[in-house]
Amino acid sequence: MKKYFPAITRAVFFHAGIRATFIGTALVIMLPVCAAAESSDAQADLTGLSIEELLNVEVSTASKFPQKTMDAPASVTIITAADIKIYGYRTLADLLKSVRGMNVAYDRNYNYLGVRGSGRTGDFNSRTLLLVDGCRINDPVYDTAAIGTEFPVDLGLVERVEVVRGPGSSIYGSNAVLGVINVITKRGRDLDGLEASGELASFGTDKERLSYGKHYENGAELLLSVSKYRSTGQDLFFPEFNFPATNNGIARNLDGDRYQRFFGKLAYAGFSLTGSYSSRDKAVPTAAYATEFNDPNLWINDGLAFMALEYYGELGRSWDLSARVFQGRYSYEGIYPYTGAPITLNKDTAQGNWWGTEMKFIGKFEKHQLVAGMEYQDSFRQDQSNFNLAPYTPILDDKRSSKREGLYIQDEITLNRGLLLNAGLRYDHYSTAGATVNPRLGLIWSPVDTTALKFLYGTAFRAPNVYELYYASSGSQKANPVLNSEKISSYEFVVEHSPRQNFRLSADVYSNRISNNINQITDPADGLLVFINAGQVDAHGVEFEVERLWEGGLRLRTSYAWQISREKLTGAELVNSPRHLVKLNSSLPVWGDRLRTGLELQYTGGRKTLAGGIANGHLLANLTLLSEQLTKNLELSATLSNLFGTRYSDPGGQEHVQDLIAQDGRSYRLKLIYHF
Amino acid sequence: MLLVLTLFLTVTCAAAQASPAKEYEVKAAFIHNIAKFVEWPPRSAGSLKLCVIGQDPFGSALDALDAKPIGDTVWEVLPVRLNSNLRGCGVLFIPASENNNLKPILTSIQGSAVLTVGDAKGYAEQGVMVNFYLEQNKVRLEINKDAAGRAGLKISSQLLKLARIVAESGEIK
Repeated sequence: MKKYFPAITRAVFFHAGIRATFIGTALVIMLPVCAAAESSDAQADLTGLSIEELLNVEVSTASKFPQKTMDAPASVTIITAADIKIYGYRTLADLLKSVRGMNVAYDRNYNYLGVRGSGRTGDFNSRTLLLVDGCRINDPVYDTAAIGTEFPVDLGLVERVEVVRGPGSSIYGSNAVLGVINVITKRGRDLDGLEASGELASFGTDKERLSYGKHYENGAELLLSVSKYRSTGQDLFFPEFNFPATNNGIARNLDGDRYQRFFGKLAYAGFSLTGSYSSRDKAVPTAAYATEFNDPNLWINDGLAFMALEYYGELGRSWDLSARVFQGRYSYEGIYPYTGAPITLNKDTAQGNWWGTEMKFIGKFEKHQLVAGMEYQDSFRQDQSNFNLAPYTPILDDKRSSKREGLYIQDEITLNRGLLLNAGLRYDHYSTAGATVNPRLGLIWSPVDTTALKFLYGTAFRAPNVYELYYASSGSQKANPVLNSEKISSYEFVVEHSPRQNFRLSADVYSNRISNNINQITDPADGLLVFINAGQVDAHGVEFEVERLWEGGLRLRTSYAWQISREKLTGAELVNSPRHLVKLNSSLPVWGDRLRTGLELQYTGGRKTLAGGIANGHLLANLTLLSEQLTKNLELSATLSNLFGTRYSDPGGQEHVQDLIAQDGRSYRLKLIYHF
Repeated sequence: MLLVLTLFLTVTCAAAQASPAKEYEVKAAFIHNIAKFVEWPPRSAGSLKLCVIGQDPFGSALDALDAKPIGDTVWEVLPVRLNSNLRGCGVLFIPASENNNLKPILTSIQGSAVLTVGDAKGYAEQGVMVNFYLEQNKVRLEINKDAAGRAGLKISSQLLKLARIVAESGEIK
């Protein structure tokens, strides 16, 4: 997975994404169609009723916009458990595809997230910080933000996902370059009992989950969940391998995917203990890293386990304290078959173990909201190895460890009526890459109650990881232990306008500069691949979003993003960086509370590929029917993904012969949840 | 594709117009009724101010209350913000949007006879006197007696009987 081999040959395709762009534009134009449909039925005067009578009135729950809880003054999108249900999201990648300014490329192994036009295939999303209940889960070897089936938490346990765009290092430290994703899990009381869930889906897929949640009389709260997933996958055709010697391009039975997961949480009197374990196996059909095509030996495993003990409590009247001790273990193993008689099996492994602690003080005063904190992490094992199985030939056996410390402070100052200043600063020290300081400034002005203007500036960094620093393989790749951190500086202007309750409009303009980029190149001196600090990327864009809830239960969220990212030196656009992204998410009740439907439309503009070709722009539609109360305890949903059977491809990475990797056509899923 | 979309939006628009009993009309009626069971210390004449801070979730549901007689006075519905003088409010409604501002809001009215009515999980534990929650699509009340007592407000036992009584605690947010 994570080893690099030079790609061999690539086919080049040229297409124009113009037709699809038109469709995308048409969508945006059509959106106001419904805006005129206002419900205006006469109101019954309920004030004449007594309290006892009022207690018996059944109400339709007014949907509310979720509220932000993160500390960053930034552009934030929140996806809730209700969205996860109504749009049938299976992975974090599915969910993030619906978020303004984001796109995902899948290489049938890992999902690569693009944020505001920056998202290279092959970077394991290391430029995005991924948190579970505020606890960092990017691993300490590759910095992977796992958003596919290897993400450790079942989406059925997720209460909300907060996506913060832009640099977040002033609070969160390394990796928060393009954005921060915080996955917040449900509480025991949200389940209140035993819940069993079963799924059947296309390509021989099934999934089972059993969860239990309880809020006890003494205030303790418990959540436990196990799940298991299996997918046989499809036989896939790759035209690049369409030769008799390579099974005419067909990778047979090589798209399998399976995982096991456990998640548990116990909370009592301000303390909360969380534990999670996941292990995923994926077969790889693409013959990545110049391996044998259609060889069943090629598979990889990613495992992640973590534990955190947290405390949140008050320190006197004005101060709150949040403290955490955490521990984690990441492991990766891959078997790579290479040509020869007999075939040589090469094993690539990594293991990262870490523990750490953090402490945060939150002070609330009349004109100030202060946050000050510190963080320490000891990555006491960051090992990588590579060897041939038979005959046993060691190639790499690299053992490392490193430490990092961070110290930060942020103040939100009410300057004046409707004028807020948010200023933050964080110092980080890495035993590998030295010290860095990252500021953040936000000025938020609300001239009237319904409108907010935000002027934001910030920088963020990513320290080089041990893979980039030390991975070496004779004849193909060499280490570079003197790499420096890469940096981003970002300016953003946001206008948010809420003409009435549950109706929100926003517009963003931003300009990002990523410098000291950690890039992989081939050293002309010896022909070896090596990571170096080189190049600078300038990214600009504008985004518009409309969010609206109607009293009858119709919800609409739609956005358009225009973005462009270029290498400063060459002016070349980045790979996997669409210029246009259009999203539409809409759900409505079809039959009272019994049946709801959710529709998603996503247009992704043309993206440049590594070989200089184009992955065509494409429009995807997903449709879900959801019955939350078919009977009292039974919930049923059916999802059709890629409703129109659109054929499309994502750009491949350095490790692929394929410049384009074809994606799934139409597929279905049936899901049943029973609450005991 | 466009056809499917048009169809979807049309169906969607139609569905959006049929709306059942509304949560915030019921909550507005609750506020009117709760006020009848609360005894304020003697206060200067004038209307009883119902202040709504932050994002008003009521839509037009409070129109029914504005200028409506309550006891020997009338309601006056007022939108307010954190830096307004909140001590002049008779009732202060605190919607879920104010989760992060709850502390400064409660601090700014400390010791004043302002009945706080909240609309989010955990508000009562944090010192809001009356808090709404939903149970099987019905509106329920929780009451923090201590908070009301500190502000010199008396809540009738009749109302207390119909509510869940909540103690203050430093529990997890």
